[in-house]
Amino acid sequence: MSAAEGSALIAEAPAIAMHVDGLTRKFGDFTALDRVSLRVPSGMVYGLLGPNGSGKSTLIRILCGLLVPTSGSATVLGLDVATQGEEIRRQIGYMSQKFALYEDLTVKENLDFYARIYGLAGQRMKTRMDAAIQLTHIGPYIDRRAGLLSGGWKQRLALGAALMHEPRVVFLDEPTAGIDPVARRELWDLLFELAAQGITLLVTTHYMDEAERCAEVGYLYLSKLLTTGSPEYLKTLPSVNKPGTRRLEIEVRDTARAMAWLRGQPFCLGATIFGQAIHTVVRESLSDLELLERMHKAGFPGATARAIAPTLEDVFVTLTEEAADARKKAGVV
Amino acid sequence: MWASFNAVFRKEFLHIFRDRGTLIAAFSIPVFQLLLFGFIDQTVKNLPTVVVDQDRSSASRELMDQMRASKTFDIVRVTSSSHEARRDVIAGKARVGVVIPPNFQGKQLRPEGAQVLVLIDGSDSNASAQALASINGLIASKNLTTIRATMGRAGQPVSAQPVIMFNPDGRTANYIIPGLIAILLQIVALVLAAVAIVREREKGTLEQLLVTPVNPLGLMLGKLVPYLVIGVIEMALVLFLMRFAFAVPIRGSVVFLFGIAIIYLASLLALGLFISTRAPTQAQAQQMAQMFLLPSIFLSGYIFPAEGLPVVLYWIGRFLPATHMVAIMRGVILRDAGPLELLPNVLALVAISAVLIWGSSRQFRKVAL
Repeated sequence: MSAAEGSALIAEAPAIAMHVDGLTRKFGDFTALDRVSLRVPSGMVYGLLGPNGSGKSTLIRILCGLLVPTSGSATVLGLDVATQGEEIRRQIGYMSQKFALYEDLTVKENLDFYARIYGLAGQRMKTRMDAAIQLTHIGPYIDRRAGLLSGGWKQRLALGAALMHEPRVVFLDEPTAGIDPVARRELWDLLFELAAQGITLLVTTHYMDEAERCAEVGYLYLSKLLTTGSPEYLKTLPSVNKPGTRRLEIEVRDTARAMAWLRGQPFCLGATIFGQAIHTVVRESLSDLELLERMHKAGFPGATARAIAPTLEDVFVTLTEEAADARKKAGVV
Repeated sequence: MWASFNAVFRKEFLHIFRDRGTLIAAFSIPVFQLLLFGFIDQTVKNLPTVVVDQDRSSASRELMDQMRASKTFDIVRVTSSSHEARRDVIAGKARVGVVIPPNFQGKQLRPEGAQVLVLIDGSDSNASAQALASINGLIASKNLTTIRATMGRAGQPVSAQPVIMFNPDGRTANYIIPGLIAILLQIVALVLAAVAIVREREKGTLEQLLVTPVNPLGLMLGKLVPYLVIGVIEMALVLFLMRFAFAVPIRGSVVFLFGIAIIYLASLLALGLFISTRAPTQAQAQQMAQMFLLPSIFLSGYIFPAEGLPVVLYWIGRFLPATHMVAIMRGVILRDAGPLELLPNVLALVAISAVLIWGSSRQFRKVAL
């Protein structure tokens, strides 16, 4: 593809980078994705969350054109995943949680290999390699074997390789799993830099702080997309803030025992430990004063309580419990 | 397709040169095996022999001298007890026992003749067959001399004039090494190719590669062709050693030999590719490769003549690439056979290769991509 063609494509980039509609994928009797629908606008960092085995990887594999949907449809950059997989793979980058470049090759050799795989050659190949090196700051390690890099630098290298061909959509499957907090933050800074350039990013993660950074998140649970939207929107969901209840943060000395006690009380709808405090949902009819008094009597003196908004974790925990209850009622084990 | 092939091909060579251990093993194992097997001589010499001389005559001494002169027998002990001889054979101290009965000399002149009892340890069939032939020949020529002397005739009524073509000295190296090369190539090409692909899957690098617009055919060829190159270099190295270290003459066309080697290597790489679609780990890939290697060694005619195999095994052997490669190598190197003389083997090898390449690449596309 020439540079002119490339810029023409970018100019007419659709406002929606990914469009998933009623997507279902079955493996034999097992349904890995069940009627999933979502849209990701161009230039957005979209976070995909969910327990292991919930269908995140299957969704990414379908969006990369590696798996064909059983029913429903999905487009990436306006291209149909079922029929235009190869065209899609020219325009996307992919980075997995496991370092999937060649450990016995140097940084430069790895980048060189991926540049060639993407069909780059001559001056353009050189320009793109320099750009990848500049973006990821991996220059000082250029002749080091990839296997000798630390976790954070490995991920930068993988990202550099995934960006070699200027993809307009990048899939990152748990890119920060197992790397240290500083490297994690630096990688996220890099991701935002890419988003600012108009690149669409779909990131899966288990970290709540990372989910909070995403413009939108989707939560997959047992093959179903339970919800999708901005973190702020999800925190206002009615099922998370049930009418007649309040969410409190209680600070108390003996958090573990206090939580166990709270969970046994009829007025308490749920309690979990958050650092030095307890996050709990109680009936609205119960005032702070009443609660603290009861705690005092139960042997937890000196507790303090304040109203809080739900965190994203609260959102996901609540949605998960709800979905599990619904399954139980439906008789599915 | 070309860009993908080029990228993968270059990268594969980087892997090969980076992994010094494997590279050294790939070249040194065949050379060591060649040196080891090349020196094997299957002509039996100096079999430890015990002689029970119950006659102690000039005739018995003459027989012993003739046995010594044959070089097949090494008389380690002369005793008068046939029990001792039997014990020595059982204990493995002697492979052959020869019992010369009392009055051996006198009986030779009588009509019923003299009998020599020969005990041969049959636990090694090759050695015992050669010992038997040697002692029979010895006695026969002895009889001939006696008969001629009594009949007063100079010539023999009938005599065979055997001419052994192509390997007149009966050198084992000439027979073994051309076949050995076929087997050695198999070890390198089959195992290395299978492991190289399985390693990519095991490490997750194949997954990463598949999310790129890599051309499947380019990827497959880029992974396999480097091992074809290594196989050809190895073939040259081993042929060179065979010619100059073991002085086995190459009577036929070297160009034809290399052309056939490329077809043969292609069939092995296809087998390696097939294994890579079945084996989840590198260790399993190696074990599966062994499953192909053993029958190739035993059923290809490399060690045991194919004519001696039971029908079922013979036909299994016909479907192994190694069988035809061994036959072609021997034909070209020892007998100056060309493509026409070896046509059945050449056609069979081409057919087997074509089927393997077709089947394996189909399987690879289905499973790996």
